[in-house]
Amino acid sequence: MRDLTVRLDALDPQASAALRVIAYFDDLTAHGATLQAIVRGAAVLAAVPAALVDEARRVRIRVDAQGRTGTPAASPDPAWPSVPAGSAVLWLEHSGPPRPADAMVLERAAAAATAVLDRTRGRADPHDTASVETLLDPASSPQARTTAARRLGLPASARIRAVALHDGTALLRVAADPEDEPAPGTRPAPAAGHVAPAPEGARAGVGPAVDVDGLPDSWEAARTALRLTAEGTPDDPGPRVVHADEAGGLLALARAVGPDSPKIPDVTAVEHAARAAPWVLATLDAVAGASSVRAAAAALRIHHSTLQERLAHAERLIGWSLADTPGRFRLHLALVLRRLHRPPPP
Amino acid sequence: MTIDRPVGPPPPFDPELVPALRIINEFLAPDALADPAVLAALNDRPSLMEPPTDEALARDGAFTVEERSVPGPEGAPDVGLLICRPAAAREPVPVLYHTHGGGMVTGNNRMGLPEMLDLAADVGAAVVSVEYRLAPGAPHPGPVEDCYAGLRWTAEHAAELGADPARVIVGGASAGGGLAAALALMARDRGGPALAGQLLLCPMLDDRNDTPSAVQMAGLGVWDRASNGAGWTALLGDARGTDAVSPYAAPARATDLSDLPPAFIDVGSAETFRDEDVAYATRIWQAGGRAELHVWAGGFHGFDMMAPQAAVSQDARAARLHWLRRLLGR
Repeated sequence: MRDLTVRLDALDPQASAALRVIAYFDDLTAHGATLQAIVRGAAVLAAVPAALVDEARRVRIRVDAQGRTGTPAASPDPAWPSVPAGSAVLWLEHSGPPRPADAMVLERAAAAATAVLDRTRGRADPHDTASVETLLDPASSPQARTTAARRLGLPASARIRAVALHDGTALLRVAADPEDEPAPGTRPAPAAGHVAPAPEGARAGVGPAVDVDGLPDSWEAARTALRLTAEGTPDDPGPRVVHADEAGGLLALARAVGPDSPKIPDVTAVEHAARAAPWVLATLDAVAGASSVRAAAAALRIHHSTLQERLAHAERLIGWSLADTPGRFRLHLALVLRRLHRPPPP
Repeated sequence: MTIDRPVGPPPPFDPELVPALRIINEFLAPDALADPAVLAALNDRPSLMEPPTDEALARDGAFTVEERSVPGPEGAPDVGLLICRPAAAREPVPVLYHTHGGGMVTGNNRMGLPEMLDLAADVGAAVVSVEYRLAPGAPHPGPVEDCYAGLRWTAEHAAELGADPARVIVGGASAGGGLAAALALMARDRGGPALAGQLLLCPMLDDRNDTPSAVQMAGLGVWDRASNGAGWTALLGDARGTDAVSPYAAPARATDLSDLPPAFIDVGSAETFRDEDVAYATRIWQAGGRAELHVWAGGFHGFDMMAPQAAVSQDARAARLHWLRRLLGR
């Protein structure tokens, strides 16, 4: 009659547990249960607190084993079992030896939560390029912009970066929280919302974080930053990813200099030197970017005395000394200008 | 409340309660108690309704727990009372006099007690839970007279219990709600004890068992029309459904619902008792009385106790507590 508290650990823990978990979340889904009900189901069945966090969609739900709601941590403790649920993360606050039912509960709850997120918060389609293009186009009407943002599941308060890939692809990256986002260059910020993550290691220019209305500007900056990137090979040394935020005055330089601008003699000299030996460009790039010759040698993985010899040779080829900071700065500018003279990517 | 027009399909259960009900129904089919064999098995399997221990009831020393045996109705055996008093109380405390559920045919006075203690802990009340004889071994008026004897003893011995006799509230769930409603009628008609309120949780009130909700919910949820019919027959035998049924057995039979203590009535919209409970509240208002009615959308019978984590269950418990605080001025 009563006191039949529904808890998985109170039930037959073996074969039927899996069926019960499946039926539990299938029932919730079939009856249009809310995200909170799904998270509560996970908490109740696992008898530990459960949480669902999707920063891009402003979903932050935590429910304890008694069903009470609260505020979740920003991210799960690494010891807790967690799974992605579309663009969200779902976890159980259980440390200690893994329990077989946890994985099943997480998997089924994540599937149910993803369905609700897609239904209620806009469908997640990372390849909705039409919506992305609408947001990047300064000519789009405010109404079209609003619709596109909604289709992509971007809340009005979201901070977003436009990302320009070398193959011409445009991506959006949600900057969830300024504190949550790793410093540019350390590692890619986690993709969130409905926007696709940049492929690992892709050559890219990254625009500044802006609100939805600022995306055309972020896109322009990302495209400009992309022109400062290189393949990162001995033939084309340089950074594969450039953040507009960090490019500083080079961004102004990039806007002023293009393929049709006349080349200054320093660029011609560098190009001439590059043709003299296969190691020249990589050596020049390493020296321009390193704090010392010793550090440059380490980056190039050659002996410090070898580098000294090559440097003397390169200085003769380009025609100026690299022994002091102004000389290395002059080289750095010449290398950047060389990239900016190339035809822009598609 | 008999049917004079066709009823629609059953109202949907709350989405969150559906998967919980699926598991509950594995142990307890909607019509389970209509089958004497199932009932016997249920009464033999305490694991399904494991009663809380004294230690659990004491709640880390917040309550003192005591079993008392007090005089029963005239010519009947003594009645057991489980008395849980707030250990820290200095002043006389209110009393929740608890009549447990179980369809008149099963259960014991520890069933539903944790929920009562939750309320009592918040408002600083004692709980006295009566162990009444069950039907069919003890048909009407055995169970309700046991409850009344225990209530009278509690009120008369309030000082000994550290309780305030002016603040005794009867309460219970399901059959216990029906018994509590009957106690309120008996206390009015017999000149005492004075009651401060009646807390009727999804109460079982009407032996006729023929409301639209009873028909709509047949075969669904917990405690459907078949189980309910079996419970009433156990209590009343052949008299069930006849004009001979006393309002002390089935409070819905009372023609006069005036001069009753303030009532709190709650029930799920998707259960057998919905219509008889709504009707009872309505008739109290029509008689000029005080009643507060909560119908929880999509709730099955006892949802808040069997699936306590659900949002609707939490809201139902909160509403009860808020009523009690208002009643007691806490």
